[in-house]
Amino acid sequence: MTYRLEMKEMTKKYGDFLANDGISIQLKKGEVLAIVGENGAGKTTLMRMLYGLEQPTSGEIKLNGDQTQFYGPRDSIKQGIGMVHQHFMLFSDFTVTENIVIGHEPINNGFFNRKLASEQVQKLSDQYKIPVNPSKKAGDCSVGEQQRIEILKVLYQGAEIIILDEPTAVLTPFEVDELLKTIRYLADQGKSIILITHKLPEVMKVADHVTVLRNGRVTGNVKKVDTSIDELAKMMVGRELQQLSERNQLKGEPLLEVEAISIKGKGSKPVLDQLSLTVHRGEIVGIAGVSGNGQSELIQAITGLTSVDQGDIRLGSTNLTGKSVAFRRNEGLAHIPEDRFLWGAAKEATIEETGMMGYYNKKAFNKYSFILKKSFRGVVKGWIDRFEIKAKSLDDKSGNLSGGNLQKLIVARELGFETDFLIAAEPTRGVDIGAMEYIHEAILEKRNRGDGILLVSSELSEILLLSDRIAVMFEGKIVDILNRRDATEERLSVLMAGGKEDESSTKNTTTA
Amino acid sequence: MNLQRKIQQLLKPLSQPLLAVLIGLFTGALAIALIGESVIDTYKVMWDGAFGNFYFLTATLARATPIILVGLGLAIAFRAGVFNMGAEGQMVLGAVCAALASLYVPGSGFVKLLSAFLAGFLAGGLWSLLAGWMEVKYKVQLLISTLLLNYVAVLFAGYLVAEPFQDKSGSAALAQTPMIDQAVWLPKLFTGMSVHMGFVIAVIGAVVLYVALQFTSSGYEVRMLGKNPFFAEYGGINKSKVLLFSMFFSGGISGLAGTVEVLGSQYRYVEGALTVPGYAWTGLMAALLANSNPLGTAAAAILLAALQTGAMGMERNTEVPLEIASVIQGVLILFVTAKFTLNWWKVKKKASDINGAV
Repeated sequence: MTYRLEMKEMTKKYGDFLANDGISIQLKKGEVLAIVGENGAGKTTLMRMLYGLEQPTSGEIKLNGDQTQFYGPRDSIKQGIGMVHQHFMLFSDFTVTENIVIGHEPINNGFFNRKLASEQVQKLSDQYKIPVNPSKKAGDCSVGEQQRIEILKVLYQGAEIIILDEPTAVLTPFEVDELLKTIRYLADQGKSIILITHKLPEVMKVADHVTVLRNGRVTGNVKKVDTSIDELAKMMVGRELQQLSERNQLKGEPLLEVEAISIKGKGSKPVLDQLSLTVHRGEIVGIAGVSGNGQSELIQAITGLTSVDQGDIRLGSTNLTGKSVAFRRNEGLAHIPEDRFLWGAAKEATIEETGMMGYYNKKAFNKYSFILKKSFRGVVKGWIDRFEIKAKSLDDKSGNLSGGNLQKLIVARELGFETDFLIAAEPTRGVDIGAMEYIHEAILEKRNRGDGILLVSSELSEILLLSDRIAVMFEGKIVDILNRRDATEERLSVLMAGGKEDESSTKNTTTA
Repeated sequence: MNLQRKIQQLLKPLSQPLLAVLIGLFTGALAIALIGESVIDTYKVMWDGAFGNFYFLTATLARATPIILVGLGLAIAFRAGVFNMGAEGQMVLGAVCAALASLYVPGSGFVKLLSAFLAGFLAGGLWSLLAGWMEVKYKVQLLISTLLLNYVAVLFAGYLVAEPFQDKSGSAALAQTPMIDQAVWLPKLFTGMSVHMGFVIAVIGAVVLYVALQFTSSGYEVRMLGKNPFFAEYGGINKSKVLLFSMFFSGGISGLAGTVEVLGSQYRYVEGALTVPGYAWTGLMAALLANSNPLGTAAAAILLAALQTGAMGMERNTEVPLEIASVIQGVLILFVTAKFTLNWWKVKKKASDINGAV
């Protein structure tokens, strides 16, 4: 039989660098093909060639058995290939309908036929069971909705092959489930899907076939039913996964004490409502919760990025309430931010400059208010070696680092302060397995040295893996705190949804 | 390989403004051709008018002096990510206060000179700080407040020299202060030439500002605030403090632009002498053209001044009207502000980027 799409021996060279080295993939009608690999494995390059954004050095592409070539996205779209990018490309002031039909608007006597467009979108939405509100503005849509708009846009353009680039990186667990259902449904309707990801549980849930890339080569090509997460991970990383270090028992005296803090917020409900929490030395406290239940505000309140209306925050014996960010950092607080591009770095600044934040005014790197760049460069180079950050040069822009590498830089910077207390918010979001292991190990190591860590993550697996105690947040409150040995994904999910746990299991909680 | 990269790094920030200038000149050429004049001859006359002999060269540098200083002041604000549009008002207030200080502060010429500089800097700085404070305290948009404060400053300065401090000695009652004492004059760099000590001050200012922005903690704070205010705040930089600090220096240096014009060239504050030639707006263009790099701003300021003095020479010697310079400048503004070239460059770069891989 002929495949719907076949890429044969695709090679792409940039100078001496082989980004893709003889990669072949096959895709049948109605099939979900997952392409997995770590950052820099060559997934994106391969897809860029398929989407016409890059021309291959060698190799051939066959569509329904016929050899073809793509000279640009427009060309690919015409031949039935659509791509949903990781970062959405929507006009936030346009409605959902306008965003979907853009470039292919139904025309009536030279005018945009808005009514017809809206009907078409509604029909498409019903046909593929992808719910959207056609008249809503894209800017008012949630992340999950925006992604659905992107998928509909591709369908509207008549795509038979849909490429989804890291589609779940930005979604909540619930939205991920919905998306996976949609992907399955589209495949059942005869569409072919290419899913680019490094999240293996999702691959196992939705894919039919898996192609694994590492360093620009194919290291695995298997049917889903014949493989397992462990096997895929091994093919991806090229070695067995590490086991985390032992955790020694050393919960010490209270370090961070949050006492009944409240933030009113704009709506009728307070964003933080009389929240209390303690992190001890030698302890990792995980915060679980569906995003938007006050986790971000809690982090900002502790770090001083937002002020509280009520309550106290203490670090050791120092009261932090109302103090500046700089004061808190000097008192021994480091912070891996939840959004690395918004808070953690300046894209236009060099890698060195992004790394320098918080160090530039430290005595060791500052003389007569001149920054001692030479001494500092050594420090950054140390981070780059230790965390295996792939950077062209320290003078390259931070924005040119891949997400995972930038995250590693930020983690290295914040760990480098060697503070007693660390807030780690989404420390491994969008990061590959290798980097994730590194970061987890580093956090655990810090705990084992007797420092206190507050871990906030939307990945329950991460919370369960690292935390000594797990606090569940719902609507600005901590609804329960579970000990490590008592916490399961099921129990946490129930609490996260705001459901009270039934009597049987609640009584072993520790006080905050 | 390494050297090649270094050169590329040096040239890259230059490529955008150079391209803009070339397109500007090309458009100017079209306009000249439309009038029916020879493009090459006209540009030759223009070049001669700007750099043709020592006299014209120094005239260009004299004209560039206030433009450089205004550009430097604005560069600080832009680097901090705030749009200070109030250079004109800050410069004019600086000029009038410097003139008044050199007229009325008692003491030796040196004391008068120092107080003139201090007054010029403080007047511009505080005026600018006012807008910054309104932004920090009441969230009044800086872009708008600084723009509007220009009118207040220029009209107030006009009132000062038309009423209480007007020069009544001459027969014609012009809106200007009396002439300042010769002891306070900034010396000319060459006898008979118009370029004065202010030019040296401006160039030194450019170097100092470059070093300060690039190598000091305060410079780092200013730049990070401009590149990502959230990142700056997260890292413990006091946003309001740095913003106010940047606005103060930004306005202060614009005030100095007015000061050196008064002390080095006009020897009094004359109403309209600073606003009519559009120094402030040319300075703004210089800062934008150079992407707020202080050294680049100085170079761009000289270039723009040359364009203006060159155009004057052109008008003297050819049939082509002065407005050609405005055409070229207009195109420059268009290209610089639209960042057309930058985006074009980025698309080019992205296509060839190795690290496009996720």
